[in-house]
Amino acid sequence: MNALPPLTRKLLRDLWRLRGQALAIALVMAAGVGMAVMSYGMMRSLDAARSAYYEGYSLAQVWVPLRRAPDSLARELAEVPGVAGVETRLSGAATLDLPGIAEPVLARLHSLPIQLNRVVLRSGRMPRAERPNEVIVSEAFAKAARLAPGDRLPALVYGKRIELVLVGTAISPEHVYAVAPGQIFPDNRRFGIIWMAREPLAAALDMRDGFNEVLLRLAPGASKQEVIRRADRISAAYGPVGAYGRDLDVSNRFLSSEIDQLRTMVQILPPIFLLVSAFLLNILLARLIDTEREVIGLLKAFGYRSAPIARHYAQLALLLSLGGVALGWVLGFWLGRGVALLYQAYFAFPALTFSAGADIYLGSAAMALAAVLAGAISAVWRAQRLTPAEAMRPPAPARYSSGPLSSRLVRLLPDEPSRMILRGFFRRPLRTIASVLGLAMALALYVASASSTDNVERLIQLVFERGQRADLALSFTEPRDGRVQRELALLPGVQRAETYRAVGAELVKGPHREREAVLGLPRGSALMRIVALDGTTIEPPPGGALISSQLARKLDIVAGDQIEVQVTEGQRQRFTLPITAVVDVPLGASLVIERGALNRLLREGDVASGAYLMTDPQQAPALFARLKQTPQVASVTVAANAVRGIRETIAESMGIVTLFNTLFAMLIVVGVTYTSARISLSELARDLASMRVLGYRKGEAGFVLVGEQALLALAALPLGLVLGMALSRYIASSFSSDMFMIPAAVSARTLAEGVLVVAVAAAATAVLVRRSADRLDLVRALKTRE
Amino acid sequence: MSERPAIYRTAGLTKSYGTAPTAVHALRGVDLTVHAGELLVLLGPSGSGKSTLLNILGGLDSATSGQAWFEDSEITALDADGLTEYRRRSIGFVFQFYNLIAALTARENVQLITDIAEDPMTPEEALALVGLEGRMDHFPAQLSGGEQQRVAIARAIAKRPQVLLCDEPTGALDSETGIRVLTALETVNREVGTTVMIITHNAVIADMADEVVHFADGAIASHTSNPRRKPPGELAW
Repeated sequence: MNALPPLTRKLLRDLWRLRGQALAIALVMAAGVGMAVMSYGMMRSLDAARSAYYEGYSLAQVWVPLRRAPDSLARELAEVPGVAGVETRLSGAATLDLPGIAEPVLARLHSLPIQLNRVVLRSGRMPRAERPNEVIVSEAFAKAARLAPGDRLPALVYGKRIELVLVGTAISPEHVYAVAPGQIFPDNRRFGIIWMAREPLAAALDMRDGFNEVLLRLAPGASKQEVIRRADRISAAYGPVGAYGRDLDVSNRFLSSEIDQLRTMVQILPPIFLLVSAFLLNILLARLIDTEREVIGLLKAFGYRSAPIARHYAQLALLLSLGGVALGWVLGFWLGRGVALLYQAYFAFPALTFSAGADIYLGSAAMALAAVLAGAISAVWRAQRLTPAEAMRPPAPARYSSGPLSSRLVRLLPDEPSRMILRGFFRRPLRTIASVLGLAMALALYVASASSTDNVERLIQLVFERGQRADLALSFTEPRDGRVQRELALLPGVQRAETYRAVGAELVKGPHREREAVLGLPRGSALMRIVALDGTTIEPPPGGALISSQLARKLDIVAGDQIEVQVTEGQRQRFTLPITAVVDVPLGASLVIERGALNRLLREGDVASGAYLMTDPQQAPALFARLKQTPQVASVTVAANAVRGIRETIAESMGIVTLFNTLFAMLIVVGVTYTSARISLSELARDLASMRVLGYRKGEAGFVLVGEQALLALAALPLGLVLGMALSRYIASSFSSDMFMIPAAVSARTLAEGVLVVAVAAAATAVLVRRSADRLDLVRALKTRE
Repeated sequence: MSERPAIYRTAGLTKSYGTAPTAVHALRGVDLTVHAGELLVLLGPSGSGKSTLLNILGGLDSATSGQAWFEDSEITALDADGLTEYRRRSIGFVFQFYNLIAALTARENVQLITDIAEDPMTPEEALALVGLEGRMDHFPAQLSGGEQQRVAIARAIAKRPQVLLCDEPTGALDSETGIRVLTALETVNREVGTTVMIITHNAVIADMADEVVHFADGAIASHTSNPRRKPPGELAW
């Protein structure tokens, strides 16, 4: 220690003396750095894992779904310029009857891949060609449905009953995020992917000399759009036109949306933390330099130049921030590994390891240092500008103004301690405003984070309680006569049945084309209603169509416009419809017309594609048993399971995120309150000691300190709540994608919890600092000159 | 003077800091009696123990051994809360550096005390007693040193304390201003009957006292009575 220059020794001792405040600031900074490292690192890790997976297992770049096509089509597609690889396959849907799961389980069937969309075997072995019933299933499904190699899976494939034998589990780049059609959260117990040999699948699908899907790999530099256009033209005769690229692949879309969400978070959170830590550092340094005026004067009188003195204080700031950065790196790495584990629960990668490059670590440190410099520069500047004579004089007594507004306000207060607090605020308005803003941001952070659960609850309420009020949604393997409604009503436990018609179509408006389902719903439906984000229910219009705002934006269409519908199934009718309303729908339902009108436009009479059922839960087992035996039912979606799936996913992922954000919000509150209260204590020590000497009790004198922090927190609450709701709305809208819209619905409970979190953290911190005030040495405080 | 009741009594009062070999003895067994209504001056060089005695009598510090009584209650037996209540009820303090609250005006500094006292004067009365009725709404930073010290005296007397303890009240002031401050203290002693104890380096001030106690090396070196108190206006240094 003795070898160190005296200023360096002073530096280390100052840091030790200010360790409480230094730690508070370093922790806030660490939270910012950690969030940045975690978010950027995770974005990069997800992207890298995805690229490696897609490349390593040859994920197709274009999918061409067909009804049935001959081998000659594959040869034609291979000749399209830009196509580097072609693989045909069979794809279908099945319902499984698994022991222990009452509901029919939905499965996606693929013929085993050869070159493209290859699978990663995770357990067991691949099916043997000579054993036609052997299959492998997606790993998450096997785990959730408790399936093991050797298990038998009774399946219903397009009306045919077959028994499959499980021999292994696998994952696939095509199903990193596996959700049943129409769902947004995975339900691995009731939806799985099954791969089996081509021959037996062809037999089940009745497609022995043909295929119903083509996968394409593109040559480097090929235009995907051009390939899709040509593929559609060539395959037009073999089924609904509908080639699409990776960007529309559901699994890939969810992955991209997750990366986008991380990008949103990284734009909001780290700046908040770094801003707060810069502010805290600024007030800490400013106060330190105030109390060390005489030291600075002395050093200058002894011949120290300004630069080493400025450097001395700048070093203090840097040393403190180095601690914050180092802690932040550790935190970021640890959070990143945790989040990677969390992601593995619903993104199936062969390996997902968190790895942020050196540039991310260095970049986050640079961000933190920029914040530190911003916070330190004004205080350091003042220190080096002090002249020795000026510095040796004690600072002029604190000047309090009696401006007309402040004095009128102050006079309203009942007692002197309250007046001391208020005058203090008016004397240093910037610090007051910055403290209030810091606390408000903490509250906003909590509210915005915790409200994600509120938003999802609101989504559930809109979709499942107000909109789709049916307990079960069925889809039929083929469109069926509308009289099926009466048969369904006779099934055990069915209290009410309504049928709908859905048809695939290409929607055209001017140069814009989008492939979407057209949904025909009965008017006056009780079980399936269109509900907008604001909670209003909308009937399908008699002479036109409703369109979701997401789709309307893509088609550049507004209410009153005409939309051209080119049906891609059956007779392939074309017709135009007036758009009567553009509706913000949370999920599903893109173009809705009245069911009878759709039947008439399709010139088909009373035909249904599926049904909604309201059922008696008591009789669910009997009903499910019957549905499992009904070949015409392609899928059964149980609303309660979907809701449970959403809640479990949200509880799992958002629970942890909210826990961390609560801790981070508390960290900001503690950091702001602790620093601000310590500095007030240092400024007010003499006043408080004087009050104690004059006979004020500990609590009465401590009130000046605690009351000040309480008032700051109180002022921050309304601002924080408003900011929090705005931030929540921003996050909800930026998390919304063209697959679903998240309603912004901050609950009163979340607001109250936020207030509680901030109040408790601020109160606990203020009381901690008050204990230091209680231990003030009265005699010494009186002997020192301000 | 001795017919007046004793307001302070000490017996063998000692105060030491540190442990045996290196211990510093600030007070080495002080026996002193102060009578109600007296104006007493404590003289002595720095480190002689006078401030330590005043702090113990004022309930700001505790003794190492010995006893001190305020009227019939033993101050040395009180805990921290008891001392606070004692200061709150009975004692007024005046310090060398005034110790005014910068955020409060002169009137509000006095109100700080009248808010918590049982039978206080009004702040206006107290400030008038020290001749500051015209400066009541000024902040400390807007007052001269002498004015600030007079606000401190007004603040100390406003609760009508039985004792006014003054530690170097003129230490930071020029002589003219110092005499004005001493006049204020003398007025309070004479007109209100408050017992006043003044610590000073300045031997001249001893002439205005009833009793003069000289301190040296932590003990009383001499204790004398003045036959006649000189009015502060006649003092000069």
